[in-house]
Amino acid sequence: MTQFLQQLINGLSIGSIYALMAVGYSLVYSIMNFSNFAHGSVIMLGAYFGFFSLTTLGMPFGIAFFIAACGAGFVAVTLERLAYKPLRDRRAPFLYFIITAMGASILIDNGVIATIGPTPKTFPPELLPSYLQSGSIQIGTLGIGRVDIAMFVITAVCLVALILFIDFTKMGKAIQATAYNMKASALMGINPNFVIILVFAIGGALAGVAGVLYGVKYQVFPQMSSITLKSFIAAVFGGLGSLPGALLGSLLLALIETFVSGYISTQLRDIFAFFILIAMLVIRPAGIMGKSAEDKA
Amino acid sequence: MLSSYFQQIIVLVGINMIAVLGLSILTGFTGLFSFGHAGFMAIGAYIAAIFVARLHLPFWMAVAAGAAGAALVSIVIGGLTLKLKGDYFCIATMGFGEAVRIILNNIEYVGGARGWESLPQLTSLWVVLVLAVAMVVITWNLINSRHGRNMVAIREEELAAQMAGINVFRYKMVALVVSAAMAGIAGALLGNYIQFLRPTMFNMVKSTDLTIMVIFGGLGSISGTIVGTIILTVLPELFRNFAQWRLVVYGLAVVVIMVGRPQGVMGGFEMTPSGIRKHFAARRARQALEAELRAAERESAA
Amino acid sequence: MSTILELKGLTKQFGGLTAVNDVSFKVAEGGISGLIGPNGAGKTTIFNLITGVYKVTKGAIEFRGTPIQGTEPYLIADKGITRTFQNIRLFKNMTVFENVLTACHTSARYGLLESIFRMPRYWKQEKELNEKARGLLEIMGLQDRMDITANNLPYGLQRRLEITRALALDPKLLLLDEPAAGMNPDETEQLMRLIGEIRKMFKLSVLVIEHHMDLIMGVCEHIHVLSFGCTLADGTPDEIANDPKVVEAYLGSDEEKKSC
Repeated sequence: MTQFLQQLINGLSIGSIYALMAVGYSLVYSIMNFSNFAHGSVIMLGAYFGFFSLTTLGMPFGIAFFIAACGAGFVAVTLERLAYKPLRDRRAPFLYFIITAMGASILIDNGVIATIGPTPKTFPPELLPSYLQSGSIQIGTLGIGRVDIAMFVITAVCLVALILFIDFTKMGKAIQATAYNMKASALMGINPNFVIILVFAIGGALAGVAGVLYGVKYQVFPQMSSITLKSFIAAVFGGLGSLPGALLGSLLLALIETFVSGYISTQLRDIFAFFILIAMLVIRPAGIMGKSAEDKA
Repeated sequence: MLSSYFQQIIVLVGINMIAVLGLSILTGFTGLFSFGHAGFMAIGAYIAAIFVARLHLPFWMAVAAGAAGAALVSIVIGGLTLKLKGDYFCIATMGFGEAVRIILNNIEYVGGARGWESLPQLTSLWVVLVLAVAMVVITWNLINSRHGRNMVAIREEELAAQMAGINVFRYKMVALVVSAAMAGIAGALLGNYIQFLRPTMFNMVKSTDLTIMVIFGGLGSISGTIVGTIILTVLPELFRNFAQWRLVVYGLAVVVIMVGRPQGVMGGFEMTPSGIRKHFAARRARQALEAELRAAERESAA
Repeated sequence: MSTILELKGLTKQFGGLTAVNDVSFKVAEGGISGLIGPNGAGKTTIFNLITGVYKVTKGAIEFRGTPIQGTEPYLIADKGITRTFQNIRLFKNMTVFENVLTACHTSARYGLLESIFRMPRYWKQEKELNEKARGLLEIMGLQDRMDITANNLPYGLQRRLEITRALALDPKLLLLDEPAAGMNPDETEQLMRLIGEIRKMFKLSVLVIEHHMDLIMGVCEHIHVLSFGCTLADGTPDEIANDPKVVEAYLGSDEEKKSC
């Protein structure tokens, strides 16, 4: 029982990080209908922004966190402006977007390796606030890592804020309308360019937060961007383009992963993730929460 | 005789060419994008290595088995995923490629994640050259037939292709299987040339590389595929000393090409006598039509 | 006259929306029939149901006496039903000639290996395909435009090429979806004559969706009128022109009737 609860908590904590990352994939997909594979690199950059603000610049953790979110958001928007906008203007097929995203990802990842180097960096514990220090809180026989709790709480706050933003503000409604039908909402006076920038900024900022949290729990390293592929799988699992889907998919995927690695084997964990991906695509490509509709010819 | 370094580059170009030609059939001509072709290469490479190093069978048999193995797997994958729409096929192939890599990581029989060292070097310059030329001919003959035209029709307008009696699923499958078999051959040759295999050699970056070569050369052009493969294989080799910056430039180049010249170097144009003739005939016919339309307009205005 | 195509109680629902509701009509063999109705009446949906693009929710489609609903689209084309599209769908980056040549593929039987190894049958049948495509283009008056990329054709010729491509499959029944859309009266007139000619020359039956009333009234022997997915009227052009319900549907009335 204890082991079960322990795994459950691990799963929820990893799932919450996946969710933060997956939201970025899903938001962009909902508006632009392509999988932004450069998102992983934005997450990685966010982690580095946080790390260097904290260590080199000596900022307090809260400010470093803020810088990471803003920096990552800025990178995401820049990418949109420089790389995706020209493609949009040309109405290029979605595959060109994917390739461009891959190219940008190669560029950023290797740029980091070439300048900062491939060695992983660890957040120095003495600079972290107490709630992110290692160690755990004992509840009976159950040990809950403090980092895990903090991660879960920070993620939950961010995601609740996002949902409130999307459901209750004018800008959020603009995003929903554009996701539903870009042409029609443009005719209603919603500037699609603005919505797209907004979406990249939000996705990027959350990526920054996710990157720092991931870096605190594990380490900061250039290959982080490929590890975030998991969160992409989660987004597909839940239904690309659907926010609740991204959340649900992330939690489910993380739980399945932790239980597989806890009860079956750690090696099987990754294979499992990809099998789930393919199985889901075959059985229900639109994902758990996605809409599947017959195309109009 | 050629210097060994030069020979090595030619062999790598040849091996890449075989894989990229296959992908060109799938992506350039049929319009399906795959981010998992390194997976098919891996299957070919490992099967061939098992045939040679574990079962001690002849090399040609190993290459054939590598091709067959990749083709068989592609039939299963295609059956499951070819009905998926655009983006999702792409994602599924990506999942497939990664799954292959991770499975290989866990099979100790072939060295697992550490890799498999000291394979025999059976791939020679001549084998690669002969096979590469053979693949160019096969691709050319396939594309310039009713089967190839059906594939292009699917790329151009899938629904109209269906309405023209083209079995879209079957032709997508043919394109996938042929491309997988060719990737399998390339993998088999690669392992037996560089004499070691490691699952990370076949990661998503490798798959993306292959796709980028096709796009760089120009979708729907065999000569473009050849030119693209040569340029994108040779250039990074020449800049090997710049190590990591090489990949930075590579990534940048991809973005710049996509944004600036998405039709690639050749843009569907074939650099062959018939291709050149076709190009000029199209231009002449278009100019004649425009002239006629202008004349008609003047007449109606008068 | 015998019937080539018969719809029996055809119904199509998208989720909760009924796009086509219990529609039945016949297309006479060798005749030209029209399918008309206001926008959103379900005309193109019926074409998509006949050609297998959409799955039939209820009802039956019989082609020459055998049901074809649930058949794969390419097999329906094989049986002899081809179509054109409302928003032209050519193989844009192919030349005019290649567009038609591609569609001729059902006339050849050589296999994959025969083309890879360039066996005798490949050469023989490729030559036949080339001749067939050339012949069709000549009949349709496109022989001077053969080498142009389809994309660069003016609109009217694109429509004509699309019909040529459909004819390359030797169809028994040709479905034309708004062939005169965007054409001036002159071009429409030309098209009317063309449709009549190809019907005779290729011994075809034609079912045409159209908004141009002069075209419909001019060429069709039989007309079926749809409104909001339901049958409104069915009869000869004269009967239709004088049907008060049809006049009302087109010109509108005080109370909108949305249900059948």
